[in-house]
Amino acid sequence: MKRIIMSIVILAIITGLSIWSVIAVNGKTDSLLDKIHETEKAFEDEDTEKCVQTAQELQNEWEEFMNRAVLVNDLGHALDITSSVAEILSFAQAENEELYASCDRAEVQVEMFRNMQKPTLWKIL
Amino acid sequence: MSIVFIRAIVLYIVLAFSLRLMGKRQLGELQPSELVVTILISNIAAIPVEDISVPMIMGIIPILTLVCIDVIMSGIMLKSSKVRKLMIGSPRIIISEGEILQQEMKRLRYTVDDLTEAMREQQIFDITQIHFAIVETTGKINFLLKKDYQPAEKQDVQAGGSTSNPPSVIIRDGVADKEQMRLLGLGEGWLTKILRENDVTEKKVFLLTAESGGKYTIIKKAG
Repeated sequence: MKRIIMSIVILAIITGLSIWSVIAVNGKTDSLLDKIHETEKAFEDEDTEKCVQTAQELQNEWEEFMNRAVLVNDLGHALDITSSVAEILSFAQAENEELYASCDRAEVQVEMFRNMQKPTLWKIL
Repeated sequence: MSIVFIRAIVLYIVLAFSLRLMGKRQLGELQPSELVVTILISNIAAIPVEDISVPMIMGIIPILTLVCIDVIMSGIMLKSSKVRKLMIGSPRIIISEGEILQQEMKRLRYTVDDLTEAMREQQIFDITQIHFAIVETTGKINFLLKKDYQPAEKQDVQAGGSTSNPPSVIIRDGVADKEQMRLLGLGEGWLTKILRENDVTEKKVFLLTAESGGKYTIIKKAG
């Protein structure tokens, strides 16, 4: 009986952690996507100072999140986002138009990172 | 390299805990579902050790999930005979009243070679000696010999004697097992007396076994 109770508790903890990880990754990736859009908008408005500032914030936010995110997600995908985020910052500083492409790539990568956590029927199958 | 090393240690602990949670069954006695879980666990555990880009939690979560489901299912099977039958099947008789049930053997996909091999494993070499045979859910075949071929028991020859528990190990390699002494109802005084009688210290004893009555066997360390 003790074993069964322990098993139920462990399964409950795993279920809780799974739901929490989906919610946490969702929340954080939403915030990262907002930052990417903000950076892009600032670049469009030719506000270089704000663009660099948001790109820096984006990089800091991602680096802080990545340390925890790799606990539940593949390291390869996380490293792809890291390099895209670094590119955004350097293009923002250089006022390079390639920032748009980097932002689009980072957006897709972040969305993919988020979707990897969602237990959709398609992915389960 | 250090990551793989640490991951291997952590997974060893998780696996040891998981197998402990599964219970004390021997490998040869695994039910079909337990066998599946055991094979799956060994494969899953290898992935995060081999590939450090895969988070270790991706190994730990499925292992714990499989083991927990197995434990819960075994609990349900304990309560429900229907579920038990569905999950592990039921024993099947393949020899009844000395007659081989060929249809049943065919259904179980058991060949004559499987049957004779199982017989030989149990020191039975003549099929005519078998009265009854049953295939257990683990796949093991158990036989009941005809009365004439069954070994004589003490009651058949009306021999006396009482039944007692087998001897327990009290000292192994110089270390006394206090718990065993307590279970046998033997005190510290008994051990001191035995050691004095044999002119030996606890550390110099290789093996000391005893029964609840106090009967003992002592083997001293060599050299």
